[in-house]
Amino acid sequence: MFEHAEDELIERVVRQLRKPVAIDERLDARVMRAIAADARPARQRPALVRRWPLLAAAALVAGLVIAQPWSHGSGVRSDSYQFVLVAPQAASVALVGDFNDWDPARSPMRAAHSGLWATIVPLAPGRYHYAFLVNGVEWRRDPAAPAALDDDFGSPSSVVTVGGS
Amino acid sequence: MGIRKVEVSDAELVRRVRGGDIATYGALVARYRDRLGRYAAHMIGDREDAEEALQDAFVRAYRSLARCDDPDRFGAWLYGILVNRCRTVGARASRRRRLFVREVEGILNESAGADLIDRLEWDDAVNRALRRLAPEHREAFLLKHVDDLEYEEIARLTGAGISALKMRVKRAREQLQRFLREAEHV
Repeated sequence: MFEHAEDELIERVVRQLRKPVAIDERLDARVMRAIAADARPARQRPALVRRWPLLAAAALVAGLVIAQPWSHGSGVRSDSYQFVLVAPQAASVALVGDFNDWDPARSPMRAAHSGLWATIVPLAPGRYHYAFLVNGVEWRRDPAAPAALDDDFGSPSSVVTVGGS
Repeated sequence: MGIRKVEVSDAELVRRVRGGDIATYGALVARYRDRLGRYAAHMIGDREDAEEALQDAFVRAYRSLARCDDPDRFGAWLYGILVNRCRTVGARASRRRRLFVREVEGILNESAGADLIDRLEWDDAVNRALRRLAPEHREAFLLKHVDDLEYEEIARLTGAGISALKMRVKRAREQLQRFLREAEHV
């Protein structure tokens, strides 16, 4: 009888401990940001931090990171950049910008897991405007990047400057 | 014809990540974050430290993915990394003697009744009792009873022998009972 009562107490403890524990929803993005940074060439890191000091500090729900070196036959060096957007309700997301003539068909984003969309594009040094096209109709700027102030079309967009050295 | 739901195996996801599709690692993070996060939270007892250990474990696992000999058992391999991170972070956290407070945001409000108060007091009593266990006892108890692992698996994760683990679980059960009985009479 005594042992049975103790078993019940432990079972109650176990039931309590098996309940879900709230984990910061941004943890996934922090992990992905960290591993993407691992893949970055070390010499690129200071330039990115200088240009986007908020990027490193912000609670990231979207953004861009250098993924790995990329070389073009033209002789102009490009690096691969991964763009990430958290959009749990989206059925499709495409990356559009100066670098792909704002053509959503050229950079569709893949759903890495629930809510996280990502794609990698090569970028040569320069300044680019870009945005995310959600469900084919909704334009969103990147909340982790500076907003483009000189957008010509009235749609929200962001801007990234890729260093040349 | 039609659409069918498919479950991608850990091994397939690991293969894709190893092939350079780093975004796919997000699927592995999403798959294991809640279960491993729960273990870290209970093991360490502090939410921020637990999330730090969890994040470290995921990043270390990614960096060492080439050393995951059996991708089908990625989850067990990841668990082993987390257990070690929790030992390191937990030791540091215990020195600060902070208590883990269960997330109650959104639950506690003006209409909180006696049942809710009882439940929160019980939550707190369980967390306090868990904190009083020796780390190796807490670790064995959580892996055995909360994560429902076999002793053989726990032995692989912790490096301890099965007999020692059984003793740790037994001691943990006895001490939890004693601590909770004491709390009832305070």
